[in-house]
Amino acid sequence: MEVLFRDFQTACQEGSGPLLAATISPIAPPNYLNRLDAIYKDSNAASISRDVAFGLTKSAHAVIQYPNPQIDTWTEIYSAYWYAIGCIIAAAQSTSKPDWLRVYMAWKDLANTIIKHYSSGVLEAWTLPVLYMAGKHLRIFAIKADEAAAASGGDDTFNTGDIQEDIAGDFDKNQTLEDAARVINRMFTLCISDRAPLEESRKWGLYYTANLQFKTYFKLNSPSLCKNVIRALGAGRTDMPDLDAFPRSHIVTWKYYVGVLRFLEEDYAGAEESLTSAWHMCHRSATRNIKLILTYLIPTCLLTRQLLPSPRLLALYPHLAELFTPLVDAIRSGALSTFDAALADGEAEFVKRRIYLTLERGRDMCLRNLLRKVYLAAEMDEEGKRRTRIRVDEFGAAIRLGERGVEGENLENDEVECMVANMIYKNLIKGYISRAHGMVVLSKNGAFPGTGI
Amino acid sequence: MKCAFTSVVARRNFGQNHVSATPPPSTPPAAQQASSPSAAAAKAKRDWPESVRLYVQRAFASENNIPGMNREEMETKLKQVISDSAESNTLLTVDWANKPLPQHMILAERHQTIYFNQNPPWGNGVAPLSIHDTNTRRTDSPSKKRKSSDLESSQNGHQKVPPWRLANNRNLFEDRITQSDKRQRNDFGGKSSSKSHQAKNKKRFEDGQAGYVSPKEPFTPSQLSTPPQEMDQGPVIGRCQDLEKKYFRLTSAPNPDTVRPLPVLERTLDLLKRKWKKENNYSYICDQFKSLRQDLTVQHIKTEFTVNVYEIHARIALEKGDLGEYNQCQTQLRALHLQHLGGHPEEFKAYRILYFIHTCNRTDMNNALADLTPEEKKVPAIKHALETRSALALGNYHRFAQLYLSTPNMGAYLMDMFVGRERLAALSNMCLSYKPAIKLRFFTEELGFESDDESARFICDHGGQAFLEDREGEVVILTGKAGRFFEATRQAAFQKVDIKGQI
Repeated sequence: MEVLFRDFQTACQEGSGPLLAATISPIAPPNYLNRLDAIYKDSNAASISRDVAFGLTKSAHAVIQYPNPQIDTWTEIYSAYWYAIGCIIAAAQSTSKPDWLRVYMAWKDLANTIIKHYSSGVLEAWTLPVLYMAGKHLRIFAIKADEAAAASGGDDTFNTGDIQEDIAGDFDKNQTLEDAARVINRMFTLCISDRAPLEESRKWGLYYTANLQFKTYFKLNSPSLCKNVIRALGAGRTDMPDLDAFPRSHIVTWKYYVGVLRFLEEDYAGAEESLTSAWHMCHRSATRNIKLILTYLIPTCLLTRQLLPSPRLLALYPHLAELFTPLVDAIRSGALSTFDAALADGEAEFVKRRIYLTLERGRDMCLRNLLRKVYLAAEMDEEGKRRTRIRVDEFGAAIRLGERGVEGENLENDEVECMVANMIYKNLIKGYISRAHGMVVLSKNGAFPGTGI
Repeated sequence: MKCAFTSVVARRNFGQNHVSATPPPSTPPAAQQASSPSAAAAKAKRDWPESVRLYVQRAFASENNIPGMNREEMETKLKQVISDSAESNTLLTVDWANKPLPQHMILAERHQTIYFNQNPPWGNGVAPLSIHDTNTRRTDSPSKKRKSSDLESSQNGHQKVPPWRLANNRNLFEDRITQSDKRQRNDFGGKSSSKSHQAKNKKRFEDGQAGYVSPKEPFTPSQLSTPPQEMDQGPVIGRCQDLEKKYFRLTSAPNPDTVRPLPVLERTLDLLKRKWKKENNYSYICDQFKSLRQDLTVQHIKTEFTVNVYEIHARIALEKGDLGEYNQCQTQLRALHLQHLGGHPEEFKAYRILYFIHTCNRTDMNNALADLTPEEKKVPAIKHALETRSALALGNYHRFAQLYLSTPNMGAYLMDMFVGRERLAALSNMCLSYKPAIKLRFFTEELGFESDDESARFICDHGGQAFLEDREGEVVILTGKAGRFFEATRQAAFQKVDIKGQI
């Protein structure tokens, strides 16, 4: 256990939060793979707190005289940490069913202890990374516990909690995670309700804990809960430092989630703004993050600016290329059936990321491109200018060419008119339909806004 | 010889935190369950006599574990027993060595409860769930309940019957409970003469609930998975034989005299089906169905019959456009269908999709789409719903009207909910794209109206009568003039999606 105390001392001497946080990491550092084992085996349940207290005091005397509350606090924290390590080791070594729930419960204790000491004011703000560490792993353990519970065949029974109403409860397959969400919420409240002056305030932990909450709620598939977090942060604006003052990693994550939330609510303009700025700020080598951002940014720009991602961009991220290229190509060439096929192929992936419904609207662009081709392909009139009156039949023929099988043959002119009407309504085509003549009259200048024709 | 473990003492509270200033969770190497030591961690603020401690140890010992007994239940009971004894200062007088263990007590109570729910030793007004509290013969703890053990003497012979046999012979028992018996018990109940005294007793029973494990909880998770076909799981087994029953929201534990058992409920369903066909009285039917559902819930009956009931109610609600009630049934049905109890899961999946279209609920729609398997997507009803969704997403009102006129099952009722606003959208669309005018006939056919009159009325309802003109014997819509007229109403229509409240 010496290693624990030595690290602790170093961290305190340098006043380094991250170093301090590393002391309670549940993952062994690469330069000392046996760390957890060593710490655990060095003591036992009956004497852990005494050992820790002794160890801390001993090493403390060598450097600075710590006031007692600190020793007590850290004794509790390290005792809880020790217990948690025990569970982690047991789970890691278990061959049959690792009991992640126990790990979670033990880690939750640790988290609660830490929260307790923050609210009592003993732990200072510079130690915030400790809170981050606790929260981050709490979430991870909760997810593992839920997965283990699901794998071991939790029964799909009703939640018969309320005897009066016949309410079907939500299957408790995410119980642990919900519990974790509550703990993380407390961490967030801890940060936001700190009244200390800015240099020593816990407010600096706000965005990190908010991001943790976002991640948890997304995993729980209830993005609506995130609104509360955003509102809370919006309300406390006055005495909070600006977003730009926070560490970059916090900002990028925050903007990403805000962007995705806006996307889900169909506020595409706002989503574009957030996601674009997240994209620009993101570190070049954080490919996974960039991929995530782009997954949402591409459909957004598709809708707002009718912008297609360039092949160069997609080439940078092969996974994205796989996902989007067939669609993008189909849209560019106006091939409706290819578009439909590509959308159906990738449906599972798209639905998982919740971008399916948005990408569907790409069909409008596809159709517009097709009709534009018809316009361009039409013969010139006497003055060498393009015809602005196009028969509905011609459009229909083009569409039918692309459609395969039954759908194409059954396509009535009425439906073609309907499609064109939609184009006009959505401002993808400028003009009008004259039913009497069976013609589409296009505007002389800029019949296809945004495409330079 | 001193044993090599920390002695286990009964704790005063069941706090969750292992970490405290006192010795943290210690794991005695003796064969104790892992969780018990933390629970029984020595928050020894009182000196418990040795006999009590031994009793507690016995309770936690693994060999005394009853399979299917929830640990927490046992602990709660243990705490209750000991604190009762402590409060009445009988810690030293009670014979702990021979006292039945908490788990045995709970088991006995359960047997009692099932039995007594059918034969309450007093009148019908009192919540029978609290009966086991009066079972003073089982527990020595000086409970705050009145001693009605004298009333039980007449039923001595039946007490050994295990619960499953009770259930199967349920009807037999009901036969045995003759009217005279009930009257006799009523008299006994009248012993505590005045109404206020009875009311006070009732209150004490209900308060006494808090100390015990609520019998509302099903026995254990492992038992929940057994199909509840033969046996009513849960504490309430109904006795009421009436077929019809008004719906009342439950505010306390249900009275088995008002709860109908399964055979009665089946007959009720038949009766209701006939009545609905004959009379078509929705408020009555809805009320009856709600009480039917309630009876199923309190008796924890989750079978194909339950699915059937919910499906029928859902369909009736749809027919009458009662979306609130329909939504309730839909939610329950989703859970029931996932248990593969039968019924028509695909039909209702299609309804769900249509419902989400109506409520513009993107999140749930996404989820519903994610849940569909490729086979399900080929089912005609679901295929129809999916095509409707995509037609509407792209604004293809032409296709939408075709789908609307060919809706399978009862989906048309759901489509009716939002066909109005989609037609409005289409109208607005057309006004912007068609110039100078379109024939009313065209409008009628495109949007699937039944007649020109209907479509004309639709336009007028939205304030567009000015745009209808008679030209050469035909009515036209002056789209050129209309322009963006309908745009505002269209926006408004999509803003508020009204889920009507229940009737």
